[in-house]
Amino acid sequence: MNRLRAWFLAPSWIVIVILFLTPLAIILGYSFLTRGVYGGITSPWTVESYQRLVDPIYLAILWRSFWIAGVSTALCLLLGFPLALFISRAGRHKNFYLGLVMLPFWTSFLVRTYAWMFLLRDTGLLNTVLEKLGLIRSPLPLLYNDGAVILGLVYGYLPFTVLPLYATLERLDRTLLEAAADLGAKPWATLAHITIPLSSPGIRAGAILVFIPCLGAYLTPDLLGGGKSVMIGNLIQNQFTTARDWPFGSAVSLVLMAIVMLLLFVIARGEGESLL
Amino acid sequence: MNRRYFLSSALAVTGFAGCSRDSRPRLNIFNWSAYIAPDTVPKFEAVFGARVRYGTYESNEEMLARVMGGNSGWDIAFPTSYIVKPMLANSLLAPIHRNLLPNLSQLEPRFGRPDWDPNLNWSVPYMVTAAGIAYNRRLDPLPKAWSDMWNPRLRGRMTMLDDPFDTIGACLKKLGCSVNAIDPTQLYGARAEAIRQKPLLRAYLNAEARDQLVSGDILAAHMWNTTAQQAMDSAPNIGFVYPAEGYAVYPDACVILRESKHQKLAHEFINFLLRPDIAAANALTARTTTTNAGARKILPPNFRDNPTLYPGPEIVARGEWAVTLDPATQRLRDRIWTEIKAA
Amino acid sequence: MFSFNASRFTVWQGFSLHWYSAALHDSQLTDAALNSLIIAIVATFVSTIVGTLCAYGLWKRNSRPLGGSLYLSLVTPEIVAGIALLAFYQWIFRFLRVQLGMYTVILAHVSFCIAYVVIVVIARLRTVDATLEEAALDLGANEWQAFRYVTLPAILPGIIAAALLAFTVSFDDYVITSLVAGVDSETLPMVIYAIARRGVNPVVNAISALIVVGFGSLVLVSERLRTA
Repeated sequence: MNRLRAWFLAPSWIVIVILFLTPLAIILGYSFLTRGVYGGITSPWTVESYQRLVDPIYLAILWRSFWIAGVSTALCLLLGFPLALFISRAGRHKNFYLGLVMLPFWTSFLVRTYAWMFLLRDTGLLNTVLEKLGLIRSPLPLLYNDGAVILGLVYGYLPFTVLPLYATLERLDRTLLEAAADLGAKPWATLAHITIPLSSPGIRAGAILVFIPCLGAYLTPDLLGGGKSVMIGNLIQNQFTTARDWPFGSAVSLVLMAIVMLLLFVIARGEGESLL
Repeated sequence: MNRRYFLSSALAVTGFAGCSRDSRPRLNIFNWSAYIAPDTVPKFEAVFGARVRYGTYESNEEMLARVMGGNSGWDIAFPTSYIVKPMLANSLLAPIHRNLLPNLSQLEPRFGRPDWDPNLNWSVPYMVTAAGIAYNRRLDPLPKAWSDMWNPRLRGRMTMLDDPFDTIGACLKKLGCSVNAIDPTQLYGARAEAIRQKPLLRAYLNAEARDQLVSGDILAAHMWNTTAQQAMDSAPNIGFVYPAEGYAVYPDACVILRESKHQKLAHEFINFLLRPDIAAANALTARTTTTNAGARKILPPNFRDNPTLYPGPEIVARGEWAVTLDPATQRLRDRIWTEIKAA
Repeated sequence: MFSFNASRFTVWQGFSLHWYSAALHDSQLTDAALNSLIIAIVATFVSTIVGTLCAYGLWKRNSRPLGGSLYLSLVTPEIVAGIALLAFYQWIFRFLRVQLGMYTVILAHVSFCIAYVVIVVIARLRTVDATLEEAALDLGANEWQAFRYVTLPAILPGIIAAALLAFTVSFDDYVITSLVAGVDSETLPMVIYAIARRGVNPVVNAISALIVVGFGSLVLVSERLRTA
């Protein structure tokens, strides 16, 4: 049993160690070095980058990012679940619908974000339609605020909930549902007490796959938020580009990663299960 | 099992990628997007029997990150002037041999001995950009200075550039300081100004502001003159002004990377770019200001006298070149930018 | 779907097929699209296989370090992963005389796709009854056969879903790709990003519409073949 398992795990180990852990170790090293005179890295070794992090402004940014990511994740799950449920029940055309859902997401993320900007602008489609219908007098400020950012994030990461949820829901034993119905349970009760708990691995997977990228997002808050607010992704992005302060950027990312890993660990412990 | 697949597919891909091989010398040029005339590269290829691979980028940092390692594969790049020194400090540049560039005399005098590279040993100026205010002519009175961007009548209808150097620079100019200020008191003053302005702002935008200005979503925008020119090309009711307090100017330059294996050919290309007819075509296509005096002479009159791209001498005198800042100041400015953005 | 309509609308403002032909004739675009496709296909293929095997191995018995590392790779912001890989490649390239190219991008994509595949497949595996394999073993099958004939079919939809996810993630990736791409390996997101950054451009919308139509017909065709 262990021999096969070892062979199965070997390729992943190779890939992870070479292509992920080693580069990460380099970043760890960077976080303890100093910014070169004009960018880049030089000695001396120092913990200065981490010391700079202890500052209310960065805490505020972190808090905001968590909040926005959390709301987006919740919305993604709320929207993704019915969608995944529908596809898993679709019988012979399952893969077709799956492909259909994924289809818009193969166009560039950037293009879809721009499409949203086009829709939400003052002279954009949504406002123009509302005005024509006489529902509003002057354009609603739909763009360049947190709401727009959340909308963009939810739209961008929806497949990340649909796919794992579909993977678990598809496997759901229909007879359980039939049994519940036979016993007199209403559809809502079946949903709440059977379907949802049984799909919890998928829910967990989906939540993680959305929450984490949302935390590190920078393009969406930048474009849809109008650059007016800083999420932690923007901060990190900025350090590696305009500010050319790689050590600080590395330090911020590593701290972010540590916080998230801690959270995941605590949640897993709380559920009495291992991480995966 | 999967290792075999991986290896064979990797081989297949590299084979595919390498199969388009011809014997002409290759030159890899890395430039800003939309910064060259469409026939410049084909003409060069025809004249010199070379094959050019032309890649583009949107920001200096993008370009820097790629070439920093010294083996990116690019031969020529076009950094903005204040990036030349950092690149030199990181040993990324190959020396420019002036004797291989007979067309160097075509440059305008003020670019013949620029601050960042007085003897042009490492770079050759290409085009110039500047930042100012673009506005909708409906505004009455028309904006004339940075302080006009703090006017409450523009609330929610104006944007500033999403660029720390430009926006902090605008605030500094409003306070009467230099855009290259390093004094913390001045920088904190600029920060206060920016935070004061933030409630009036619709957003911090770069090129997107152009579309919003054209469609009427906003009435005024902090904008680079090339972007403003594009806006004016598509809508007659847009105007542009170089603020009265002064403004930042960004020349960019052509450099040869030290890793290049075709330095002679690279020199040929730079010389080619310096030809007045080629430089004029590039400027016309990119809608920019050229540093080439010979080109300026042969530009069509309505372009040559365009006040946005080729303003008169008094306006030019108000401009201030952006310089490389020391790390401590850079860090302070970056911190201030984060504070402004998070406010 | 509403999502498709969003991109469609922006195209219809143009009212002509001019932008479509412009997009198709732009060699930079078609080259980039081809690159993206090759990269995504290879990366999906590799990461799905490696990831599925890994998920199975972890399902049998968890490995804290491996699971933790996979999570870590998910948690890493893209720009950090990109810079880290770039730094790594450049360090390696001091010993080998090679440069950035398609293979550096593919390897990078594999490294971040694996975690996605593992998570989706494991979620699926959790719904499979472990005793089925034991039964197979009792009946005389070896481990490999148990996996191949019992578990694998059961998780196939999960694997397909994971592959789709990996493909999407790879095809659409911008940040990491732009950092590790070489001179010849420009991808579609990189090109689109460059064009779109300069403002709204109907060519971009034309491309998106083309992609939607292209992949859409693929999906349709595969469905026809399957149910034929």
